[in-house]
Amino acid sequence: MEWTTTQHVWLVLGCFCVAFAPRLIPLMFFRTRKIPDWFNEWMRYVPISLFTALVVKDIFITPGYTVTLSQIPDMIAAIIVIGVAYWTRSMAISVILGLLAVFLLAMFL
Amino acid sequence: MGKYAARSDEDVPYWKRILDASLPVDLSYIPIGLACGILLNASGFNVWTTLMVSVMVFSGGAQFLIASLLATNAPMLSVLLMMFFLELRYALLGSSLSKYLHHQSLGFTMLFAASMNDENYALNYLKFSTDKKFTPKEALHVEHTTLIFWTISNLIGSLIGSAINIDLTIVHFALTALFLYMIVMQLKNGLIILICILSGFLAAFFMVLTKSTLGLVISTLCASFIGFAIEAAIRKHHPKSGWLRTMKNPAGTPEEDVDDE
Repeated sequence: MEWTTTQHVWLVLGCFCVAFAPRLIPLMFFRTRKIPDWFNEWMRYVPISLFTALVVKDIFITPGYTVTLSQIPDMIAAIIVIGVAYWTRSMAISVILGLLAVFLLAMFL
Repeated sequence: MGKYAARSDEDVPYWKRILDASLPVDLSYIPIGLACGILLNASGFNVWTTLMVSVMVFSGGAQFLIASLLATNAPMLSVLLMMFFLELRYALLGSSLSKYLHHQSLGFTMLFAASMNDENYALNYLKFSTDKKFTPKEALHVEHTTLIFWTISNLIGSLIGSAINIDLTIVHFALTALFLYMIVMQLKNGLIILICILSGFLAAFFMVLTKSTLGLVISTLCASFIGFAIEAAIRKHHPKSGWLRTMKNPAGTPEEDVDDE
């Protein structure tokens, strides 16, 4: 069954609600309250943990949620991106070289 | 970019400073946004619904997910449920930024929350933690600049979607590369590297266990809490431990003496 544009609009509105609530609630909660030190120290480890989890999902997890080691181009390109990011510290160069690497690797592997 | 912007505070116009601060994300959003627009177009979104979703949801991961779920004709409720689990992580981002946004007005907080996402969060977090003069208002404008780049790229992607035929799995790697870059920027000491590796294994474990992106949320909570607990223990018992020593920053000194993961 094909979705109609009206259904797409409802879907976007629904997505807005489920996307907005988690972004707003913590900011609202801590807007006026004093944030405990231990909480801040804990939150410092959130970005690194989250981004690693997202990368692992993209590279090692299949759409059916099993572990795979068969995405060789992505794995090699990921190592290249890590190296490029480490030495250049440039987000744009890292992304563009990463895309180029995965494109070439997918062609030859 | 941070150092440059901070040094020339007086003579550089305000909009230029915001653009400089957000430029790394702006530039990466062009290929990713184009890719996302193309994918949304392939799954049946027209230009207007693409405009709506990019402004209202403004999340690369979420929009890629919508596109791939619609391609498989998933029912509305399951798309929303998946979205909820995917977007739950923003609660963590909001919590970790909240100390810099203390006592802002209700309207500001809502506006800030509406356009916060992984990438501009990373920018703003970095700016707040390194630049004492960085204000919440500037952070909001950084968000909006990235939003403009994202929306325009989405729209152009949607328009050319039918004309160009590209391998969508390759396009998806743009987002992965962006996350990898952000990880590398955060690896400052031995403990963080350890938590990074641990988080990877936990993420795989919990995602296979829950069969959903809820695993992302659980593994993030666990790994970050373990990091916090280990750091607290080290500070208490071995304050001079090498695990917390800051490693040297290779920017500007690209010698072969340090290696990455």
